[in-house]
Amino acid sequence: MPVMDSSNTDLRIRTSMPAFASPVDIHQAPRALIEIENLDFHYGPHKVLHEISLQIPERQVTAFIGPSGCGKSTLLRCLNRMNDLIDGARVGAGRISIRGIDIHRSDVDVIELRKRLGMVFQKSNPFPKSIYENVAYGLRIQGVRDRSRLDEAVERSLQGAGLWDEVKDRLHTSGLGLSGGQQQRLCIARTIAVEPEIILMDEPCSALDPIATAKIEELIKELRSKFTIVIVTHNMQQAARCSDLTAFFYLGRLVEFSPTRTIFMNPVNPQTEAYVSGRFG
Amino acid sequence: MPPEKINSVAAFPVTFRPGRYAGLTGNQVVRGFFGGNAIVSVVVLGLITLFLLREGHGFFGQNRRNLEIYRAAGLEFVDILKRQEEGFGSLNRTLFEIRLAAGREKEPGSPMATAAELEAFDAYASELGDAAGPLRELVGELVETASAIKTKLVMNEDRLAERQHLLATGRQSEAGSIRIETIDSEAELRPLLESRARHSAISGSLAKSLVELSERMPSMSAPELQVLLGEFGELLRDYVASFPGIERQLAEWRHDREVSIFSAITAFLFGREWLTASFWQDWYGVLPLVTGSFLISLIALGLAVPLGVGAAVYVNQIARPSERSAIKPCIEFISAIPSVVLGFFGIAVLGEALRKVSHIAWLEWIPGFPIAERLNALTAGCLLGLIAVPIIFSLAEDALQNVPKSFKEASLALGASRIQTVVRIILPAGISGIISAVLLGLGRVIGETMVVLLCAGNRIAIPDFSAGPGVMTQPVHTMTGIIAQEMGEVVQGGIHYRALFAVGILLFCLSLMINLTAQRILGRYRLLSS
Ligand SMILES: Nc1ncnc2c1ncn2[C@@H]1O[C@H](COP(=O)(O)OP(=O)(O)O)[C@@H](O)[C@H]1O
Ligand SMILES: [Mg+2]
Repeated sequence: MPVMDSSNTDLRIRTSMPAFASPVDIHQAPRALIEIENLDFHYGPHKVLHEISLQIPERQVTAFIGPSGCGKSTLLRCLNRMNDLIDGARVGAGRISIRGIDIHRSDVDVIELRKRLGMVFQKSNPFPKSIYENVAYGLRIQGVRDRSRLDEAVERSLQGAGLWDEVKDRLHTSGLGLSGGQQQRLCIARTIAVEPEIILMDEPCSALDPIATAKIEELIKELRSKFTIVIVTHNMQQAARCSDLTAFFYLGRLVEFSPTRTIFMNPVNPQTEAYVSGRFG
Repeated sequence: MPPEKINSVAAFPVTFRPGRYAGLTGNQVVRGFFGGNAIVSVVVLGLITLFLLREGHGFFGQNRRNLEIYRAAGLEFVDILKRQEEGFGSLNRTLFEIRLAAGREKEPGSPMATAAELEAFDAYASELGDAAGPLRELVGELVETASAIKTKLVMNEDRLAERQHLLATGRQSEAGSIRIETIDSEAELRPLLESRARHSAISGSLAKSLVELSERMPSMSAPELQVLLGEFGELLRDYVASFPGIERQLAEWRHDREVSIFSAITAFLFGREWLTASFWQDWYGVLPLVTGSFLISLIALGLAVPLGVGAAVYVNQIARPSERSAIKPCIEFISAIPSVVLGFFGIAVLGEALRKVSHIAWLEWIPGFPIAERLNALTAGCLLGLIAVPIIFSLAEDALQNVPKSFKEASLALGASRIQTVVRIILPAGISGIISAVLLGLGRVIGETMVVLLCAGNRIAIPDFSAGPGVMTQPVHTMTGIIAQEMGEVVQGGIHYRALFAVGILLFCLSLMINLTAQRILGRYRLLSS
């Protein structure tokens, strides 16, 4: 494991990844933050992603849609290299770069990478710890001990996730005692506590009721001013409601990638048309 | 569905008649077979418990009688005097150790004490030794008196038992021919009680001469020896100061004071001596065995917990699947080794190896080194640790396996390293499973017999905890070991036989408690994780 320099707060990948908090003018045309070029991905003998090329812009919400099994989660998990954990999973060809750095390069520190790409999972998974400790976890593992700094970060993150008012009186009770929607927002708070640059969400609402879903969608719209968000969703209305760009995948291939309006109003590809109009999937 | 389909369903022979065996359907037979097996195991457990209780419960009554005779025969009285004599003996030993120290050389050629000093010291020591002559004489006489009374009482007791046995089997005439003496305890004990005046005089003059001796300690020029002599003076004065207490004990002693069943139980549970087939008095105190068992278990767990849990963490969280499939069966195979083989290994290899290592000069700083006995708690503990590793490993690995994978993913996705994830998330989440794994390992270790019998050294004494961690290298005896060792040579139904059963009951209760605790923790953990 590479040695981390804890005094270095600008969270750099071991090589010369540009500084994290680079000032970006929101009015400027969005430029690609994540570039995926001709990516092939295999689980053992099975090739599940074929020549994916995609450019994800900064401070936008990008949605991945497509029928189940088409490789959306796989692609998402490639971005923070969570697929490294799966035996036999490998990138066959192509590359992914974030701010121009190839994330599969051997000198990239995966731990630093994951600090910059937060992830929210399909099934909410708070730790069996208190609400406070759930949110503080990411900072604690970075060695933050200072109580006031932690308190401040916990409050800010919970507020950012729209959960503060609901839990501020019971921060030290178990995170598992919250409702499903609250748990998912707690996971979002936990993710933003470490101030990532990008948030990856894998069907974050698929296990939630409509009201909780609406709250999360609201939250996604708010978070978009600060973070680059990539969201996998099964729900086309959701993609339509809260994303700026949409990528449609089918059988491991990227079929169409355009602004969300275009995808839903006048898609170029007939397959996309068929899918968004609900004729298959 | 089209109508003809329905017809074909109706035509299906639903009135299938199952075969019958002895009037039962196949289903009932199968049910009965498995249900029967389950019931058999419950019944067997119940029978074992009953058997243990039946054989063991009589012990406390017998032990009470044992203690009653101890009192009635005056052995208890004589033991008070014997303790006084032993106190003197230990003073003498201290003096002897000082003499040894004085005889040594500080450096080659420069002795600790001069020849003249040594001569004066020896004269002093022999004068001190002689001072207790009369006390020794008195104790010797009283020991004989008390032993004689005890013999009479015990013989009477045996006759009584025999007569009752004959009466119970209906042989009245034979029973009548057994003569039971009436023993006048007062009269028998008179010589003992009358010796109190004599003892008082002896004790008084002993105190006087000891005080006088303590005022003129031999002089030694070496400062180390002066310190030792100073300490000896303290001991001497403390010893003399204990005399009035002894007098009081003797004066207050009554031969007919009742022995409660409660004291028979505490004498078993908290008795510091397990002494059987002795000429003087048998003691069935289980404390040395319990401490031995726990000392060994502690050593075993000290070894097995880090190994077992560490291996479980490695296999479950860090190893690649190929490694995992290589390591798991290896560790689990350990439990297939017969414990007697491990015992052999302990005697032939491990004990000797440990002792050799402990005699290496630069390892002397380790507490308990050099090891005097080849077979000791450490040897047995190491082997038991090996036995406990597979249990702890398997159960701890299960516990870790039950920790939802999503916790691990969430932690890693937040930028935690594998180690951080294990230490901060996986282990805390699986802790109750791990604790119960450790407890079940403890249960296994406490109950293990063969290895401790072969390797623990089998010395029945409470290990000397003042040696600090060095206590681990002392030979001990255990609850399981004593049962295995002595059960073969006891008279069935006798007090010793029942005492061993009482030890068995204690062991059974301990194991049951450990297991129940483990189950409860595990149950709570399952509730939590689901
Ligand atoms: N851990 C894995 N091992 C092997 N194959 C997998 C694994 N995860 C997913 N797959 C396969 O990869 C393909 C894409 O899966 P996934 O990315 O989960 O699809 P989606 O998220 O779009 O439903 C599927 O065919 C699935 O069976
Ligand atoms: Mg998926």
